[in-house]
Amino acid sequence: MMLGIATETATAATLTDAVPARISMRDLEFFYGANRALKGINLDLPERQITGMIGPSGCGKSTLLRVLNRMYDLYPGQRATGQVWMDGVNILDDGIELNYLRSRVGMVFQKPTPFAMSIYNNIAFGVRLHESLGKAAMDERVEWSLTRAALWDEAKDRLNSSALGLSGGQQQRLCIARTIAVRPEVILFDEPTSALDPISTLKIEELLDELKKDFTIAIVTHNMQQAARCADQVAFFYLGELVEVGAAAQIFTAPTQKRTQEYITGRFG
Amino acid sequence: MARTLRSRRRQFTNIAALGASTLATVFGLFWLVWILLTTVINGYQALNLKLITQMTPPPGSDGGLLNAIAGSGIMIAVAVLLGAPIGIMAGTHLAEFGKKNALAELIRFVNDILLSAPSIVIGLFVYELVVRQSGHFSGWAGAVSLGFILLPVVVRTTDETMRLVPTQLREAALALGAPKWKMTLSVLYPAARTGILTGLLLGVARISGETAPLLFTALNNQYWSADLAEPMANIPVVIFQFALAPYDAWHALAWAGALLMTMFVLIVSVGARFLLRERNG
Repeated sequence: MMLGIATETATAATLTDAVPARISMRDLEFFYGANRALKGINLDLPERQITGMIGPSGCGKSTLLRVLNRMYDLYPGQRATGQVWMDGVNILDDGIELNYLRSRVGMVFQKPTPFAMSIYNNIAFGVRLHESLGKAAMDERVEWSLTRAALWDEAKDRLNSSALGLSGGQQQRLCIARTIAVRPEVILFDEPTSALDPISTLKIEELLDELKKDFTIAIVTHNMQQAARCADQVAFFYLGELVEVGAAAQIFTAPTQKRTQEYITGRFG
Repeated sequence: MARTLRSRRRQFTNIAALGASTLATVFGLFWLVWILLTTVINGYQALNLKLITQMTPPPGSDGGLLNAIAGSGIMIAVAVLLGAPIGIMAGTHLAEFGKKNALAELIRFVNDILLSAPSIVIGLFVYELVVRQSGHFSGWAGAVSLGFILLPVVVRTTDETMRLVPTQLREAALALGAPKWKMTLSVLYPAARTGILTGLLLGVARISGETAPLLFTALNNQYWSADLAEPMANIPVVIFQFALAPYDAWHALAWAGALLMTMFVLIVSVGARFLLRERNG
């Protein structure tokens, strides 16, 4: 209960007042069957900023991402209550067209997930679902998204070869390119670098900085340095509750909550 | 002291286990090599151009296996056309749409029974279903019975291969806004194609040697017949008949047929693996 009250005060003092929110969560609760995995979450994702989500394993941060594109709908027994507002619509409503929602809110997963087809078709696959482009326009879109994902130079000569032949880091950038090719408004990253080497990780972090010019980004990470390097806003979760949210600098230098301080100084987690 | 004792015991266990598994491998391979060698040695002598240019001969004269080769080819092809689409669709249903429902479990159970059903029973079943109804043996009946043998193999391997595709790949496709059918067709099938094709080829290898179901259905035909409505010659039944007959020329042809069939299965499996490696590499 103490934590619940503290969360209210912590949320009030974020930088989201200055920037309009792209997604607003209100009283969001999530259930795996009878198990309540998210408890009364109130959180805004400010437009064209990076929100880093940190917290120990099982704290609900990945679950939260999977609410934002309704990925949990695949699994019977999982459900969310409360509101998640985007463009004046509560995306938790029953009538929401999921495929359209997912074209607006893209997702990049922990492990690279290239499809067993050519690099070109990996990108064109998502685009074709939502738009019918001619050959030239599609070529252009593929080049655009590969360039934005910093993969064009490495991939331009092998667009028609299998995506499975790329290295792990390249595959992950391909997945990012595939996601932005659909031109979503929000991109969710679920620990996108935890399966990658340090150099690939660095590339993707640089990429995040570049991408936030066009997209609103939420990233779940176990790596606090990563959150400090990349995020504008950081949210700390613990046992399904949002303990504290604020500007990255504030969370890492002057957290208002004792638990946040204990977590970022490595006392648990 | 204790340490060396333990390491010596480990060494001994290692040698014993390695030795036992090597022996088991040699035992298994020995029979396989024997069978292959016998087939090659006996079949090789009968290999000549007549084999693929002439029909099966009447007793006492020379001939080839042309009608049997063609008949087997046609019936296998039709069996694949009948069994593969249904099998792949049923396997897809089990893996993607029926994970936890009772109907899917029932279908899996029945499919497993069909998989291990003796082929002669399937032959008798098709005899009742097609031959008795139409009043005569036919290539169609043969193809249908081969299709029934192929079907459960394809269902099983498709089901298993599709379930091996990581959940993340499904989620990745759906996260782009793909409907489920599109994800299945465009993402899961390419990811699972190696396994599905391997299952199909295993099935083809299995039905190309089946004799019992053809005895009751396609029977045999001494003459050229490409008409599925007529009784149709085929290699397994020709081998069966010629091997039991008292004529040397027929024995030679039976060996040649056995060799042809073995080579066919070998080439199909090796070729498919080669092709798949090229495409996936």
